[in-house]
Amino acid sequence: MIAVRNLRKHYRVTKRPPGMVAALRSLFHRRYELVKAVDGVSFDIAKGERVALLGENGAGKTTTLKVLSGLLHPTSGTARVFDEDPARRARSSLRRISLVLGQRQRLLWDLPPQETFELNRLVYEVPEADFRATLRELDDLLELGDLPRRPTRELSLGERMKCELAAALIHRPEILFLDEPTIGLDVGMQLAVRGFLERYGEQHGATILLTSHYMGDVVALCPRVIVMNHGTIQYDGALGELTHRTRPEKLVVLHLERSVDARDLVALGTLVAHRPLEVVLRVKPSELKAVLADALIRLPIRDLSVQDPPLEEIMAEIFAGRSDGRRAAPAEGES
Amino acid sequence: MARYFQLLLAQLRLSLLVSAQYRVDFFVDGAIEVLWTTTALAPLLVVFGLRTTVAGWSFGEALVVVGFFTLLQALLEGVMNPSFVAIVEHVRRGTLDYVLLLPADAQFMVSTGRFHLWRSVNMVTGCGIFVFAFHELGRRPTVTSVLMGMLLFAAAAVLLHAIWTLAMCSVFFAVKTENITDVLSATLDAGRWPSAVFRGATRLVLTFVVPLGLMTTLPASALLGHFDGRMVGAALGEAVVLSAIARLAWRRSLARYTSASS
Amino acid sequence: MSVGRELLRLFAFIRIGATGAVAYRTEAIVWVLSTTMPLIMIAFFGAVTRDGPIGGHSGASVVGYFLATFVVRSLTASWVSWQINLDIRDGTLATRLLLPVHPLVAYTAESIGSMPVRVLGSVVMGLVMLALLGSHALAQDPVIWALWCASIVLAWLLSLAVSVAIGALAFFVDSSAKLMDAWLAGLFVFSGYLFPVDLFPARVRAVVDWLPFRYQIGVPVELMVGALDRSTALDLVLRQLGFVVLGAITVRLVWQRGLARYSAYGG
Repeated sequence: MIAVRNLRKHYRVTKRPPGMVAALRSLFHRRYELVKAVDGVSFDIAKGERVALLGENGAGKTTTLKVLSGLLHPTSGTARVFDEDPARRARSSLRRISLVLGQRQRLLWDLPPQETFELNRLVYEVPEADFRATLRELDDLLELGDLPRRPTRELSLGERMKCELAAALIHRPEILFLDEPTIGLDVGMQLAVRGFLERYGEQHGATILLTSHYMGDVVALCPRVIVMNHGTIQYDGALGELTHRTRPEKLVVLHLERSVDARDLVALGTLVAHRPLEVVLRVKPSELKAVLADALIRLPIRDLSVQDPPLEEIMAEIFAGRSDGRRAAPAEGES
Repeated sequence: MARYFQLLLAQLRLSLLVSAQYRVDFFVDGAIEVLWTTTALAPLLVVFGLRTTVAGWSFGEALVVVGFFTLLQALLEGVMNPSFVAIVEHVRRGTLDYVLLLPADAQFMVSTGRFHLWRSVNMVTGCGIFVFAFHELGRRPTVTSVLMGMLLFAAAAVLLHAIWTLAMCSVFFAVKTENITDVLSATLDAGRWPSAVFRGATRLVLTFVVPLGLMTTLPASALLGHFDGRMVGAALGEAVVLSAIARLAWRRSLARYTSASS
Repeated sequence: MSVGRELLRLFAFIRIGATGAVAYRTEAIVWVLSTTMPLIMIAFFGAVTRDGPIGGHSGASVVGYFLATFVVRSLTASWVSWQINLDIRDGTLATRLLLPVHPLVAYTAESIGSMPVRVLGSVVMGLVMLALLGSHALAQDPVIWALWCASIVLAWLLSLAVSVAIGALAFFVDSSAKLMDAWLAGLFVFSGYLFPVDLFPARVRAVVDWLPFRYQIGVPVELMVGALDRSTALDLVLRQLGFVVLGAITVRLVWQRGLARYSAYGG
């Protein structure tokens, strides 16, 4: 469905040095600098897959998404959606995709969302019967209630987001592109959006490609992640695999009955945190059994748990370029 | 075609709904429009208080020109400028992408995005000026001259739309980079400019880019009974040619926005 | 608080205004486009005077007049009312109030900041005038030019005061942009911008002389093209001063009342 080969997108950006003299000079002579937003990216996405593009700001995620939806032309390389060049913006292709840009709304501001739904129905030429069926379904899944009939400006951010999603799906697209869909939403709303996307994806077999820097989005929705950094792919594969490669060590959290001296803990593993009644250690998986046995015998333990390191830390490490993840990227993700 | 007509009706309806939300504005803005029309009349009134003809035109005849100018301005302020502002807003908020993703012609959606219907008041004022003009002249126009006048006015309107489209393209050039702060500041500053600025801009464009004569004097002459085939042909021809050029420029600008050429 | 430090602070605002004015080429273009009326009126009055002079204005003098109008308008136009409206609407005013500089002073400083670009444009136009029409198109008397310097500053102040006062009305109503629009309409007609005020019939002329509009544009223009003798010139400049004082009082009144209301409603 989606095939990207050696995609590159470079921009010329005007340099605006500070200061009055420089500003005056720039009136007559502009200086440019080349920004390589996407610098050699390749991947394939099959029908029905749910994939997350992860990366920090400026990694190239949004640019990749815009190229795939046809809003930007590549500088070099190819992107094909439905085996067509999305930049040609063929009407038939446009009808089968949808793009949701987090924090940017398509709903008409002064009017109820219902009006936007109707306009979309007209523009996308959705038959009446299908339109009504889709609306009913979206109402169910998103619990819209009477939100669509109130002016958009009166809705809260979360309510607006629900209607935004509905508006994006009026025409039942086969591919859904989402750019930071949960940004700025409170936790409850984030959960609701993730839940909705998951159910929608399952019910319609829609292909979903979303960008995010929230781990929660990824874990909830996407079995496959593509990690981007500085315009290239660092990793493409299953999330669990990524964790395993980057930070294979486990975190062991010990809750103690009384405080313990640091010297007693050194032998167990790397000390991450040492508080009076709580100790956090980093332990290699191979040594886990031995360490736990040792700790249970020697230390006054009230409670313990074994955890994976937080994904945020893993991501931070990847982006810092210190991780093994980069070197160990599998062949399909290689640029 | 029928689909686009449907879309046009839908867009008109939406603009009407939005305007209806701000009822007070409707009347106040209508009043202000009439006020600005009188500023167009002031120089004429003053000059014709001291003279009977100017460059061969009598007061009544000059009024007909002003009438057409008013109608054109109603079109510009009621239809084109609002859409221009809407596009600038779109670019600022990054929502132009949504428009471009619709399976409908972008130029059409953008041109019909927003109408300011109270400016249709000037349509009425313009016609009022015609009535006053012919009262001054002491006669009534013939049916043929009315038809010719309308035809040439339609050509002028098409011309105006072409010029507007070219102005539209400038938005893309001003914000052709992806540099977000560029976009924000540029449009923030653009938002600072009052409508009076665009009034001035439209007047410059009307006078110098396309000779004013073509757009207001020609229809005026026609309505007054003077027209010939060559004139009409030239006007219609120019309307078609400029529209084609504008369309081309639009596609180029869009391609630039989506960096097709870079 | 040392004067030096105050000046430095003000300079920061001036720089903001100046940098803003040159930072974007599009803005410069839009701004130039906004002062096109005089050029159009040249065309119109060119046609009028082709059949002979009107009200004492001949073909050549009319061109000089409108080029002068362009210069004066460029130098004195104030967009502050729209800025104030915007600031009140999106809450930026609250931020301004927290700064150690009074908002009005800041607005003034920012307006001053945009002057260099405008002066540049006006100087260019002035040179065009000289080249096209020769020096006899401009006033010859150095006293008149001295008065002109005072007059242009007063005109700038008056326009600023009007702009701020109307802008501050946004404290009381949703948006005062429409009122500014209406004022501009009056300005165009009664200031000498669209046509010289002496073309008005006598009774209208009497009223016009008591309206502020002429003192925003007309007086500096008439001084510039040498249409006034010394005593009339002095008289008019003094009237300008009077209007500026009136303007300042109005600004203070509206701003104080408006600010009180703004704070009362939580901004």
